[in-house]
Parts: sequence; C-alpha cells; structure tokens
Amino acid sequence: MRGPEKKSGPRPSGETPSSRRRTARFAGSAFGLALRPVGRGVLAACGIMGGMTLLQVRILRAMVPPTFDYDETLRQMHKVGVLSLPVVVMTSLFVGALMLVQTGNFVRDTGATAMVGWATGIAVLSEVGPVLIGLMFSGRVGANNTAELGTMIVTEQVDALRLLGIDPVRHLVVPRFVSMCLMLVLLTCIGDLFALFGASIASQAIVGIDMRVFWQGLLDGHLADEFVMGLVKGFFFGGAISIVSCHFGLRVRGGAEGVGRAVNDSVVTAAIAIFVVNFLVTMLWV
Amino acid sequence: MEAAAVLHEVTRELSGVRVLDGASLSLASGRIHALVGAGGSGKTLLLKTLCTLLPPDSGEVRLFGETVRFDDPGQLRAIRARIGVQFQNLALFDFLPVRDNVAFPLEADASGLSRDEVDRRVRDILDSVRLPEALDLEIQALSGGMQRRVAVARAAVSDADLLLFDDPSGGLDPVTTSRIFALIEGIHARRQCTVVIASHDIDRLVRVCSEFHVVDAGRVIFSGSLDAGRRHPDPRVRTFLEGADART
Repeated sequence: MRGPEKKSGPRPSGETPSSRRRTARFAGSAFGLALRPVGRGVLAACGIMGGMTLLQVRILRAMVPPTFDYDETLRQMHKVGVLSLPVVVMTSLFVGALMLVQTGNFVRDTGATAMVGWATGIAVLSEVGPVLIGLMFSGRVGANNTAELGTMIVTEQVDALRLLGIDPVRHLVVPRFVSMCLMLVLLTCIGDLFALFGASIASQAIVGIDMRVFWQGLLDGHLADEFVMGLVKGFFFGGAISIVSCHFGLRVRGGAEGVGRAVNDSVVTAAIAIFVVNFLVTMLWV
Repeated sequence: MEAAAVLHEVTRELSGVRVLDGASLSLASGRIHALVGAGGSGKTLLLKTLCTLLPPDSGEVRLFGETVRFDDPGQLRAIRARIGVQFQNLALFDFLPVRDNVAFPLEADASGLSRDEVDRRVRDILDSVRLPEALDLEIQALSGGMQRRVAVARAAVSDADLLLFDDPSGGLDPVTTSRIFALIEGIHARRQCTVVIASHDIDRLVRVCSEFHVVDAGRVIFSGSLDAGRRHPDPRVRTFLEGADART
C-alpha cells in the first residue's frame, strides 16, 4: 500500500531548496557579510523597543486599579525629586542666563530690546528648559535607577522578591514610573522659574538691558501655552526615562561589568528618547 | 517515602549554553540533602529550578506532590510560600535594616502574625545565628560573614516546608560555620522540613546530611547515601565523597 504522496514544491513559508541556496550564497557574499552588523543592530533595537513596550504595558496593568506600593513611591519621590533640586536649579540658572546672552546681543543690535523677554521665554519654557532638565534628570536619576535595579538583579534581590510573592514591576518599577513622571513636571516648573530668574539677572548684569524690560516682554508674550507644553514634555520625559532606565536595569546579566554596560545603554537610549518625545509632543502641540 | 520535590529530565539553556542537561532529582521529604559538585556544575541553577525561579525549557518539576505550572501565578505563589531560600549572593535588601530583612518573609506572605509575634521570631532566629545586636543595623554596616548569617536567618524564619541553602558557609570562619550548620540541623529537627544544602564544605555536610546528590555538567550523576557514593563506580562521584570525614 502506498503511503500519502509527498508533495514537492515550496514549503508553507514559501522557502524552496533553491531559495535557501540563494539566501546562503547572499549571506556568504561580501555584501551579505557587510549587512550582518546592520541586521544585528536592527534586531537588538527591535528587542529593546519590544521589551520597553511590554514593560509599559505591565506598568499600566499594575496601575489599574492603583495597588502599587505608596511608601516606596513617596521614598522615590523624595529621592528623584527633592534630591535633584540643587542640580536642576543650578542648570536652569545658567541655561536661562545663556539663552538671554544669545538672544540679548541680537536684539540689542537690532534695537528690539522689548523682544528679549519674549524670545528668551519662548526658548526656555517650550524647548531648552524641559529638554536640558530632562537630560540632567536622566543623567542623575535614570543612570542611578539602572545601576540600582541592575545591582538588585546581580545580587538576586529581585529573585528574593519574586520568591516572596512580590511582583518586581509593582514593587520596584511602578513607584519609580509614577515618581519620575510627577517629579519631572515639578522640577520643570521650578527649573523654568529659575531659568527666567537667571535670564533676568543676565539681562541686567551682562547684556545691559533693564530686567524690568525683560519681565515686561515676557509677560506681554503670553507664553502660558509654551509653559504648559514644557510641563507636558516633562511628564512624558519622566515616563520615558523611567521606562528606559528600569528596562535596562532589569535586564542586567553578569556582574559589575553588566551593570556598567546597562547604565551606559540606559543613558544613551534615554537621551535619544527625550529628543524623540520632544519632537512628537511639539509636533502634536503646534 | 514521599518526595517533597522531584525534577524529571529538566533542561535549560542560558545564553545558548545548556546549563541543565536532563537533570533528574528526587528529594525525600523530611530529610537533609546535600548538593555537591564542582563550581559551575549547575548546583545553584538546580536550586533556582527547585524554588520555581528558573523555569525549565523542558522536563517536569513536581513540588509537594503538584506538577509546577510556570504560567500559573496563583499556583506559583502558593508553592513559593512553602519554600525558604538562602541565595548564593545573599539577596539581602540593602534599603532595609536587618530586622526588616529577616521579617520580610513573615510580612510578605500575609500570614496574619501579630507584630509582637513577628518581632519574637526575628529576635529568636537572630539569636540562633549569634546576631542579636544587629537587629537595627543597616545591611551595609555588616561584615560579609554577618550578612551571610542574616541571609540564613531570613531563609529559616518562616515555617517553610522546603529550605534551600546555597553555600551557607561561604566565607565564614569555622566556628560560625559550625553554628550555621547546627542551626540548620536544629531547624530540621524541630520542624521535620526538607532541607537542601549546596556547599563545597563536604566535611560539614557529612555531619548533617543523610542524602547526597552529586551534580556534574548540569546533570545529577548520583543520588544516595554517603556509603553508596563512596562505592560508586563513577570516579567523579567518589572524588567528591570519599575524602569526607564521616560522623558514623
């Protein structure tokens, strides 16, 4: 009796012996070899994006209903918010002053001194303030967060939590996510004020434009919209930094070297994420 | 005798390397088991599989008579509540003082113990590991040996049915090592729980363990008594067991 006839031709995937041979020839060619690192990079990027998306879904699931650890959230708010204040204030003062020096010289040359408050304000409130504060925050808080979670992975603290029935995302990630989103809005708000303060001092002391002219120009500019957009950016920057830093922290493998690599990857990715989010929010806002 | 834990043909790959290669193991209930083998042979990974933290790629894990379903969070939670682990890297929470670290398993499993009862248990177990004065200290303030003793105390503080100790005497002086093993023996005598100790300290293991399991290249190549191990035809088994100074 004859068994079922073997079907020849392409497999369900469409792959045939000849197409496999062609693929193998291409992979072995100089062009194929040159493309390999590109392929590896694309796959790695997809892996990172996929991992961060899944982490975000798990965070949102853990927040509905909000059953996360409130004590840990308050502790994180103090750590990422209050302790970041000095560096944000210092950065903002000088950023504001710098923006004024850049615009001040131009408006003084053109005689449009009434514009200096408006020009500095729009740059500080909508773009430079949130982005630079976000980058500072990422360098200080995001890197620290990745190192902390990575060390917890290496020393098996996360395993111990799981063994004790505690979900690491609910206990470790959600408090960080919530605190970074809220605290970066607050820090952006405070940073904006100090940047404008620094700008007004620079206006008087360096550029020679009366600081009353600066403040009047700022108030006449009606920049509430830009101010709110900056705060919205701060919120999304906080979310992006927390997801990126937690993702890289929780996927640490190996010892101290693995933690160092994760911190490096986290800071670079968070910086890219800040610029991407900045672009998207600006595009949607204007 | 009923087995508290059974691994059957468990395999697991990590970073493309097969770290568990068809490991099978049966842990008789109520005994103290020794897990011995060279560094990197897979002892820690076997312990992690036993405490359900490392899902196998294939094979079966049975704990307390139930086949573990690694995709069932409810079952995992119930099983993990019956297991106490001292991790190789200690896994102490460095953001908590000693007291809260040791009390963590009692408070995390919502066992309904009163605060006084939790405090009493924590003090008792810290007395057992000779660390009564460390109650309010931060983890970073302790020496490596003291941290290891706190980790042992945390693993043993709850009424776990299965206690897993991964190198409990690593880096400890001989006196403290004796105390740690005496503590483990005492807990076992009091509760008749199943205990697994992974260690290179074969002389101490011989004094407290009744069953020996030799691990090599991700497989359990021998399970049985010390005498049977010493007569085993496989030289890898004899290498680990025949030099030991037996109590009996």
